[in-house]
Amino acid sequence: MIPFVAVVSLRNQQSRTFRLWIPLVLIWLLLVPLALLLSPFIFIACLVCRVNPFRGLAVVWQVLNALTDTELEVEHRAAGMSFHIL
Amino acid sequence: MNEQRRQVLAMLSEGKISADEAERLISALEQPAGRPSDSDSAQGVKNRPKYLRVQVDSEEGGHNGPTKVNVRVPMQLLRAGVKLASLLPAQALQRANHAMHEQGIPIDLTQIKAENLEELVEQLNDLSVDVDQTDERTKVKVRVFCE
Repeated sequence: MIPFVAVVSLRNQQSRTFRLWIPLVLIWLLLVPLALLLSPFIFIACLVCRVNPFRGLAVVWQVLNALTDTELEVEHRAAGMSFHIL
Repeated sequence: MNEQRRQVLAMLSEGKISADEAERLISALEQPAGRPSDSDSAQGVKNRPKYLRVQVDSEEGGHNGPTKVNVRVPMQLLRAGVKLASLLPAQALQRANHAMHEQGIPIDLTQIKAENLEELVEQLNDLSVDVDQTDERTKVKVRVFCE
């Protein structure tokens, strides 16, 4: 399954944590019409670059699926940040 | 019904072997040689690392305090990434080769095939890299491992 939510946590010097839940599903929904509009151009670009467009689509889908559980944390005395894809 | 099973049943009907022996032979035929049992494969999947983790602990002199970076990348993403890299057109690979040669990195990316990259990711399971750097002002510790 492609990830649906990403969580961004920010911590400031006063140790106050601000957590932002990003609904990725809305971003995917917004990107679908854009991808459909751009699909002829992407198809032509794939043909020019001699890349199988269907294989390319499959790999991009795999990358999106594999993003789940990616995590990045940076902690410093003064501040901290974390990014987690659920 | 395959030939071997038919032979076992023929031997059973001729009375050359008992029913128990026939059952053992048939079950042995059903499991191909060298194939791991279900419990072994389940154990292998269980032990297979799911994430590549990069941890950096840096401590600088002065009052900045320590900085910690913790990155967890799913192995699945690495596999998908190498598949994506295998789609790169030849012109892009040649340009990347040229740029890397300029930086003194003698790697020919056009020679790397998708199956080699898959193998490379598989071998990352046993990877563990520890780097410690300590000098007067800074102390940096980097760990790369799979879990």
